[in-house]
Amino acid sequence: MKPIPIPTLLPRMKVLNREQALAIHTAALEILEKTGFKMEHPGALDMLVGAGCKVLSDGRVRMPAYLVEEALASAPRQTALYDQKGSKVMPLVDNNTFYGTGSDATFTIDVETGQRRRALLKDVANFARVADALENIAFNMSMANPDDVPAVENIYVYVFAEMVKHTNKPMVVIADRGKDLKMIYEIACLVAGGEEEFQMKPFILNYSEAISPLRFPENVMERLIFCAEKAIPVCLPSGSNAGGGAPITLAGAMALGISENLVGLVVHQLARKGSPFLFGPNVSTLDMKHSVVSYGCPEWSLTQAALADMRDELYGLPVWAYGGASDAKTMDAQAGGEAMFSIITSMLSRCNLVHDVAFLEYGFTSSLEMLVMADEFVGMSRFFTDGIPVNEGTLALDAIQRVACGEGSSIFLMDDHTYEHFMQAQYLPTLLDRSHYDAWEQAGSPDLYRRCNTEAKRILSEHQVEPKSDSVLKEMDELVRSL
Amino acid sequence: MYELKTLTEAVIKGDINTAVAETQKALDAETNVNDIVDKGLIPGMDEVGDRFSKGQFFVPQMLRSAKTMQECMRLLHPFMKEGDITTKGKVLIGTVKGDLHDIGKNLVSMMMEGAGFTITDLGVDVPPERFVQKAQEIEPDIVAMSALLSTTMPSMPVTIEALEKAGIRDKVKVMIGGAPVTEKYAQEIKADGYASDAGAAVTKAKKLLGVS
Repeated sequence: MKPIPIPTLLPRMKVLNREQALAIHTAALEILEKTGFKMEHPGALDMLVGAGCKVLSDGRVRMPAYLVEEALASAPRQTALYDQKGSKVMPLVDNNTFYGTGSDATFTIDVETGQRRRALLKDVANFARVADALENIAFNMSMANPDDVPAVENIYVYVFAEMVKHTNKPMVVIADRGKDLKMIYEIACLVAGGEEEFQMKPFILNYSEAISPLRFPENVMERLIFCAEKAIPVCLPSGSNAGGGAPITLAGAMALGISENLVGLVVHQLARKGSPFLFGPNVSTLDMKHSVVSYGCPEWSLTQAALADMRDELYGLPVWAYGGASDAKTMDAQAGGEAMFSIITSMLSRCNLVHDVAFLEYGFTSSLEMLVMADEFVGMSRFFTDGIPVNEGTLALDAIQRVACGEGSSIFLMDDHTYEHFMQAQYLPTLLDRSHYDAWEQAGSPDLYRRCNTEAKRILSEHQVEPKSDSVLKEMDELVRSL
Repeated sequence: MYELKTLTEAVIKGDINTAVAETQKALDAETNVNDIVDKGLIPGMDEVGDRFSKGQFFVPQMLRSAKTMQECMRLLHPFMKEGDITTKGKVLIGTVKGDLHDIGKNLVSMMMEGAGFTITDLGVDVPPERFVQKAQEIEPDIVAMSALLSTTMPSMPVTIEALEKAGIRDKVKVMIGGAPVTEKYAQEIKADGYASDAGAAVTKAKKLLGVS
């Protein structure tokens, strides 16, 4: 009989115990029952009242806890995003973590000049193409709030069409209101080959935001309900950053952000039971000196790890998270430290969908070099979270015997065991420099920023994105022109 | 004259109880109201502003100091004569039409108030005609607009146009800000000033009005 293999512990992080998770959840329910919220969408309000919510004389809606529990029970636990060719590439179930870019940066660090400038439509294309090429980047967001779109009210349709042309990976999309979201959906169905095909294999997820504290604008709810009806996966964080939209203390900020997410979930499940919903309130922190929402702080990493724990204890729904971003103005040591901090912790806590990779300047500026660097950091983190497989092959007793008892010149480097295992046994970096000093100096002493810049330019010049069919592109252009 | 040093220190510390008590004592000692403001409260706020700009003070501390000053002013108000207090300037502020975000705008309001400006806040989702109507009513020195969404930014030039049509554009300075707003955009729509954050908004407002 064969011995039972030794299971590998996959390193994993916990930051909340069950008592903490339950207490935060209970607080969120109490916020909804006692403080209530402002619902500005008449249809959503009708649904909520019909389901058992009460509107009190202050105009605020109070929600009973059982509605939350019902919505949590009906939302699916096995949400997946597909790529644009129909492959299930992002199963958003509990142990998987996927990384992708962010949206709406006003500026970018120009890959040619190194200067910060206003973002343009071509940057959307460049980020989509580089992300398309990178192994560890699973999905795209626009990364830009381009200055050169023909009409700003349709900005989200233009950036979506640009992404469709330059990547086949899944996408997280933003919209302003029902109208542009409908157009984006129409284009998505076109790419998928029909509405049924899209709904079976969705490749877009809509990111929408309510307003903390506890305000649900009409256009935001309009998008949420549309996504529910069309089974477009959705998430609805609310900007409950500690000290700004929410209390300065993380437990309270989480309770508020979760309560807001739960309102979204209830409306969403009332609109259509079983439509996919990602959980995640984006609890970062408002910097107390500069009043910016930090994208490099330890707080955000901590609250999303806590949310992943609450998923495991209570919610069961996939978790929306952030990572690979920084508050630094250039891709310097701060950027590297902050990016890696959120990448490794989001993976160790098994957040499911991690966006905002490649942001600098607290999300105001994008950087292709950051994206390329983050790809390497995700690879390192992945190696770490794969743990240490322990078995006959990896214990390598034969190799130890051979080398230890071999001739004087025997070294492990020369042994067959090394040759057979090194690709899996080691993380093989592509951008991190381990060269000898003289060789590095002769190469022009390139720092990580320069190496990432070179790599980003190489991808832009070499990577071919499998193009959409001419008929899809033509129809999409016609739709966009009709705006 | 009543010694105002303790009052100044209380403003810096954000110690509302002590500051209010000291203001009352100063009044009881028949100290001139203008002296209480100019030699007691303002030096405290100046020190707070200075420490903030050096990174020694955090936003909540500055806001607490501003609140402390406001509580003292409330006490002094009944003793003031017309034209006694010179504000640094009147500011009409709001988040533009279609946009419901107010944290950034509120922060600018509070910082400006703390720096000695008089603020009229129109709230969020403010249509151009409302800016115009209120500007005609209160005759502000500055009209300040905020937008968080790129899709609501176009309300800014529309509002500026509305001010022009109403014939009051040259009587006010227009300041804009918000996440998608840039210096270049401010120039394009012919606003008078742009600020990237609340602290910069105060500096910009002072510069536009030529006050310190």
